[in-house]
Amino acid sequence: MFRALQITFGIAIVIFLLMPIFAILPLAFTSSVFLNYPIPAYSMRWMHELTTADVWRTSIVNSLIIGSGATVLATVLGTLASLGMRKGALPMVSLLRTLFLLPMVVPAVVLGVGMQIFLVRLGLASTYLGVTIAHSVLCIPFVIVSVSAALQGIDPSIERAASSLGAPPVTVFRRVTLPLAIPGVVSGAIFAFATSLDEVVLTLFVAGPNQRTLARQMFSSIRENINPTVAAAALLLIIGTLCLGGLAALLRWRQKRSALMTAPSAI
Amino acid sequence: MRPFIQFESVSKAFGSVTVVNALDLAIEKGEFVSLLGPSGSGKTTILMMLAGFERPTQGAIYLDGKRIDHLPPYRRQMGVVFQNYALFPHMSVAENVAFPLEMQRVPRAEIAERVERALDMVKLKHLKDRRPSQLSGGQQQRIALTRALVFEPSVILMDEPLGALDKQLREHMQLEIRELHKRLGLTIVFVTHDQSEALTMSDRIAVFNAGRIEQIDDPQVIYDTPRTRFVAEFIGETNLIEAKVASVDNHVAHLSLGAGLSARAHAGNGLSAGQTASFSLRPERIRLGAAPEGSNALDMTIADCIYHGDHMRVQLTHDDFSLVARCERLAGNWTIGASVVASFDPSDCTVLTQ
Amino acid sequence: MKAAILRERSGALLLVSPVLVFMAVFFLWPLWAMVTAAFVDDAVSKVLPRTAASIVSWDGQGIPSEAAHKALVQDLRVATDEQALGEAVRRLNSAASGFRTLLGRTIPAVKAASDPAQVDLLTVDPRWKDTRFWVALKEAMPPYTDRNILAAVDMKRDGSGSIVLEGADASAHRLIMLRTLLVAAMVTIACAVIGLPYAMLAASLTGWKRSVLLLAVVLPLWTSLLVRTAAWFILLQNEGLINGALQAIGLINSPLPLIFNRLGVVIAMTHVLLPFMVLPIYSVILGIPGNLMSAAQSMGAGPVRAFWRVLLPLSLPGILSGSLLVFMVAIGYYITPALLGGANDQMISSVIAFYATGTANWGLAGALGLILLVVTTVLYTIYGRFSTSPQVPGA
Repeated sequence: MFRALQITFGIAIVIFLLMPIFAILPLAFTSSVFLNYPIPAYSMRWMHELTTADVWRTSIVNSLIIGSGATVLATVLGTLASLGMRKGALPMVSLLRTLFLLPMVVPAVVLGVGMQIFLVRLGLASTYLGVTIAHSVLCIPFVIVSVSAALQGIDPSIERAASSLGAPPVTVFRRVTLPLAIPGVVSGAIFAFATSLDEVVLTLFVAGPNQRTLARQMFSSIRENINPTVAAAALLLIIGTLCLGGLAALLRWRQKRSALMTAPSAI
Repeated sequence: MRPFIQFESVSKAFGSVTVVNALDLAIEKGEFVSLLGPSGSGKTTILMMLAGFERPTQGAIYLDGKRIDHLPPYRRQMGVVFQNYALFPHMSVAENVAFPLEMQRVPRAEIAERVERALDMVKLKHLKDRRPSQLSGGQQQRIALTRALVFEPSVILMDEPLGALDKQLREHMQLEIRELHKRLGLTIVFVTHDQSEALTMSDRIAVFNAGRIEQIDDPQVIYDTPRTRFVAEFIGETNLIEAKVASVDNHVAHLSLGAGLSARAHAGNGLSAGQTASFSLRPERIRLGAAPEGSNALDMTIADCIYHGDHMRVQLTHDDFSLVARCERLAGNWTIGASVVASFDPSDCTVLTQ
Repeated sequence: MKAAILRERSGALLLVSPVLVFMAVFFLWPLWAMVTAAFVDDAVSKVLPRTAASIVSWDGQGIPSEAAHKALVQDLRVATDEQALGEAVRRLNSAASGFRTLLGRTIPAVKAASDPAQVDLLTVDPRWKDTRFWVALKEAMPPYTDRNILAAVDMKRDGSGSIVLEGADASAHRLIMLRTLLVAAMVTIACAVIGLPYAMLAASLTGWKRSVLLLAVVLPLWTSLLVRTAAWFILLQNEGLINGALQAIGLINSPLPLIFNRLGVVIAMTHVLLPFMVLPIYSVILGIPGNLMSAAQSMGAGPVRAFWRVLLPLSLPGILSGSLLVFMVAIGYYITPALLGGANDQMISSVIAFYATGTANWGLAGALGLILLVVTTVLYTIYGRFSTSPQVPGA
């Protein structure tokens, strides 16, 4: 009896969690103009609309431009910071770390208002650079978390071994530290890109009509005039993020395996 | 002429905690020296200072007559074997072994040949394309050793290299390392907290306690004539005897053990009549039964008898004076409560300085 | 020795400094800009500095002395920055209606006059005899103001300068804050009620069953927030899947109102935030030795008592940190209420966004933002005490 209750509950929540994602996907191929079930017939018209209509096409291109820019910026900055915070040579490292992770916590609207005021003063409002910078602020914490975890997984005695075997510090970094940290850097970059791709609130505040991203376009489309293009865009985003997520999981798995490698296994 | 490796009044403090205190240590070329001590005694710090990962707070370290304590690790030419092997997880076995040769800019063809030869020596050539994670603990250990040897460093440093292995493999590796040491004439500094490992492998053992060397001698001297209470207790098992010196003549001390018992002991200089001192008497030096000529003989009662397979451990008492003796299993038929004569040579009872 | 530490430290600093500078400029400074926007009020004093200096001594009775008039004329004559002047006019007009037309007539007259000393404001426009405008002018002069932060909590200063409640009809910020807390609390409770048994179930299962349960939690985390919100739109709308299904099986005749109301907002937010509740609880439960429950039962506790006395107290840290996390993220939520809520379900973030993008009232947006920021920071600090690893909330 109790067991049956447990199973029913489990299945119900799994459905609750997954149903929305699976409910929206088929609608990408509806022939109807309404974002609605039942689907009268399947067609590619909304996928076509997504890739040809100006607003949607530009927004996809914008997302890719801004996403790549923010990813590069955040990955470079975040990786450098993780390396700097690694050895505990700096005083108040935990304070720094907290500061760098704060953008994950501060409500997006609050940061958005501040960004808007500030970027207007700098003359960066409604520019690609401005939006890219705003996204980077949100992406940096993800890179730092990911790269720091990778660096933490490196046994310090491995670097000492390299040094004792005659490798000067630069060589130790190039031949040992970096290769072992790369999976963390790449998965940090993936998180950064996914974060930028999904960002709406900051974009609402700092982007002009020319920098409309896919997520921003979906937001206004849902708000003003919902139609199946939204489902087509959702399909695109889901496929994109699932690929990225899968890649990240794969890397993390490999990283875990290599962490196991460094641990001594008593036969 | 300086010794090959020399520590000259080296101290190391982390903040306000002094880990190594005014250490003087000399190691000759081709020696196998073990640094033995409990954890926190400073032995690993000494190794890390020798390897260059830590810098002395005070003092100087010399290698082959040259001062090295300011040199970074990569200029010291020492092969280090770490406790957890520290193999590069992203490189194959052959790449791991080739790494130090690459650092020395050895020509490529020669690297391949030397790696091959080195792996052959430890009989692991067939594993050269494997990743470290695909090896067993013993194999990883051997690769770590090979990697440390391949570039012919002047010294090999080992930081509890066998700690992660099971007992059988550990004993096997002890022999293998000892054999390599003899064959290649290596200078090895070996850190361990395992006394039997130190006793079986070393030319000399330095026993550490609280950042100082308590005694440095060859294994037999360390075991037979420990100089301090700490050494006597840390290495092997011993009977610590507090006794009053009744008289001293010609390096023989006459002791009164309490409970009306008396004995003679070998005494170094500096013992005088009337003083109380500590003595160490190894259990296996005590004989039960008839006392040979010239030995101490004590009338004791058997309080307990514990079976240990290859030997018996016999607890002896005489009022509040007690001893532990270690006897061959078949040496007699001991019954608890029986009276017995315990005898030992005066030279086996050594005075401890503290 | 010291030099080595110093070198290592400066190397680390060199690596960290780019991010430090970047975050200081593009994260801390914007937040600071928002906070100052709430308190700085120098639109008028910047344009009319002489007037500001001269009107300070006026007691607020009648009209100020001739000197103040002259100062104002001087200021208006040299005010050439149209944008700054426009902002000052807007600021004054919001304090005393009619100021715009008053200045609209005064400025050209003052600028046209050949000799500023000859200009008499009272003849340019007789409204300058009205004390009301001069009071507004004087009150607009101090460069800092608490007007916005008071307005953010539905308060203002009355004529005598003491703080009083705004009229009940004037503004509804308190109501919206209360609603924000209420919605966040509802979502937190919903997440806890679903998340605790779910996490316990996942921890008690093994193999593929556990994997499915965990995947169901993680998969939505990887999915775009907008996709999930759009999906709930499809499910909840009147012609949506849920209403369609209920009507098809004859449970209801007309569609239930599920969207553009509180229910829709809470359902969608619970869905989005549930992973942040499940994951901390799950990791805490995994850390509880499995034999504890058996041990409790071996001592005679039934399953229910064993749960109350052993499992629940031990998983409390997970529930607590999960709840804090969900609540903290929920109070700052914007997208889901904006898209699925009705006019009466808008939370504080929507109001901030409205003031900032809709009416360009940075002062009020900043003041409300400051309140939200402070509350979030306090919650985060408490959360930091409970949890060592920061989870990753999505906006």
